[in-house]
Amino acid sequence: MKLKKAVIAVCALMGTVAVHAAEPIKIGVVTPLSGTYAPIGQQVRWGLDLAVKEINAAGGVMGRQIELLYEDEEANPAVATQKAEKLFQVSKVDFLTGTVNSGSTLAVGQLAERNNRLIATTVSFADSITGDKCSPNVFRVNARAGMQSAALAEWLAKEKPKANVFFIGPDYEMGRSTVAAFKKAAEAKGAKTVGEVFAPLDNKDYSPFFGQIRAAKPNVIYTSVAGNDTVRLFTQMSEYGVNRNVTIVGASGTVTSQNLSAIGKAAEGFVTGVGYSPKLDTPENKKFVAAFQAAYKALPDLYGADSYGVLYFYKAAAEKAGSVDTDKVRGAMRDLEWSTPQGRKKMRAGDHQAMQEMYAVTVRNGQFDIIGKVSAEAAVGPDACTRF
Amino acid sequence: MTALFDSLQFIYAPQIINGLSIGVAVILMALGLTIIFGLLDVINMSHGEFYAAGAYLSVTLLGLDLSFWLVLVLVPVILFPAGFLIERYLIQRVFHHRDRHILTLLLTFGLAIVLEDAYRLVWGANPMRPETPISGATEFLGIYFPQYRLFLMAFGSLLILGVWWVVYKTPAGAIVRAAAYDRDMSASLGVPVKAVYALTFAFGVALAGLAGVLLAPIYSVFPTMGKDFILLAFTVVIVGGLGSIKGAVIAALLLTQLQSISSLFISPVWSDPLVFGVMVLVLMFRPAGLFGGFKNG
Repeated sequence: MKLKKAVIAVCALMGTVAVHAAEPIKIGVVTPLSGTYAPIGQQVRWGLDLAVKEINAAGGVMGRQIELLYEDEEANPAVATQKAEKLFQVSKVDFLTGTVNSGSTLAVGQLAERNNRLIATTVSFADSITGDKCSPNVFRVNARAGMQSAALAEWLAKEKPKANVFFIGPDYEMGRSTVAAFKKAAEAKGAKTVGEVFAPLDNKDYSPFFGQIRAAKPNVIYTSVAGNDTVRLFTQMSEYGVNRNVTIVGASGTVTSQNLSAIGKAAEGFVTGVGYSPKLDTPENKKFVAAFQAAYKALPDLYGADSYGVLYFYKAAAEKAGSVDTDKVRGAMRDLEWSTPQGRKKMRAGDHQAMQEMYAVTVRNGQFDIIGKVSAEAAVGPDACTRF
Repeated sequence: MTALFDSLQFIYAPQIINGLSIGVAVILMALGLTIIFGLLDVINMSHGEFYAAGAYLSVTLLGLDLSFWLVLVLVPVILFPAGFLIERYLIQRVFHHRDRHILTLLLTFGLAIVLEDAYRLVWGANPMRPETPISGATEFLGIYFPQYRLFLMAFGSLLILGVWWVVYKTPAGAIVRAAAYDRDMSASLGVPVKAVYALTFAFGVALAGLAGVLLAPIYSVFPTMGKDFILLAFTVVIVGGLGSIKGAVIAALLLTQLQSISSLFISPVWSDPLVFGVMVLVLMFRPAGLFGGFKNG
């Protein structure tokens, strides 16, 4: 009788041990599932879901499955911090990603420091995230504004030397920093600034600014609006003929596969500097695009590709560290090289900014064609982080 | 001197015309809102979502290869009975409660959230846009202006006049105003007050839907679009005087011109504080708005 009880107890113990070993690694995702940036959140979600499916099917990370816990940040830093706090404190996630709005990434980054957890953004462009506001707990796997600008400025200097550029940005961290970054890069290569306007996020009507634009007589307009705002800006510009004889260039998040069909013809000829195009001609990318299309009946954009890549980044780091402990994983992430649909990326240890090859792409017949290329070293710029 | 005329012609004139076209859009939104408030004493927080409903219906119907002009007629015709049913079966449930204002506000706010999510489920999160039915632009005295916006201003003005005429110059309008002024007396004189309420609400919803069809080609269509004009429309209704059509028109034109002209000189981010500043001033010195409700008309 006693023996039987002991056997049961041992079995039960072994059972818990076995269950413990297979306990999933929890990764929190705070991303906009509603609001103007919902289309971006959609790509983030698709990219992450696809990577998790593949990683889990191949045996997970160190034998543990990955579990994603989604929260809607509504592209609002105040909401993002609440949701992130909940994920850190209540759900006890091991890692967090998904923030889109640069303000959200910065705010959640501070929260991660207090909770001693790591986060990575796959979307936010603001240079400050891996620049003067860098954090030992924040990594960025996507290309920042400065890298996109470097690729675009290179193209502009070649195709439209000494351009007169007018700038239109959304009035918050990302908009201001993308405009500042491109202005610096373009002016260094001989372009001239003829005017700028910062419109509020979710601006309805851009036509009140067209008078200013006309008066400034630009031959190039740079913009970093995103999501639904782009649909309005571009269709209203073509409504008023503002885009006649003007080349429209912009941030990589301005025109994406999510809003391209709504913009329609008004997007033709748009040029941007970007870290990804579904047309990249590599075996890794072809495999990724095929799997993505099979799963979601849509093409991946840079957000989908970078979000897919971040889980392989985490997997590589956790396996190198042999643990999910914050300090060990952070150490492993520094100078880590891992493979993504865009090819090999390297995480710079000094500022936690991923380095990668950059491209200039243009919209032609509703698709992104690659028209220029800049090496990772030339694009990334100096390390401006002094906090660690 | 020529510099002055140049700036008047090429900077101020287009800016004013532009402001007018946005003003007409705002009036279209505010009309239904102010009528529903004036008669029913209900603050309709889901008005923006009815506007979105009109826009989404137009995208769907245009996708079936119907002509824009047919869709322009069809959408209000579809939304009218929907509005009727919502008033009859949702608003009426809480209408006679002591806390009518709070309860109807919460009810319509909840309805707005449900509708917004429904749009996302049915049509997805990505923006859509119907092609502009009248393409091209007109050049007049050196000012370049899209023809569709000219049409919108002309059609919108006719619509506004039409609504004003119905409310103030027809027997039906007299009944609506009477029911708004004294519900019990109207009922005792044989006015079917319940039906008048439901029909008026339905009319307001149909107007919002019509605005959705008209504005979708310019402002595009996505689940949260209902939030776009609603704040400005509410401001217009408050500044103009709750329930006043004339007030809504004048306040909308005033506020959109203020935004339009000010955006030439100061950062556009200040346009919201400017507009709300005007609202605060009006609430401080003329709490009933610039023009009283249409009960007094």
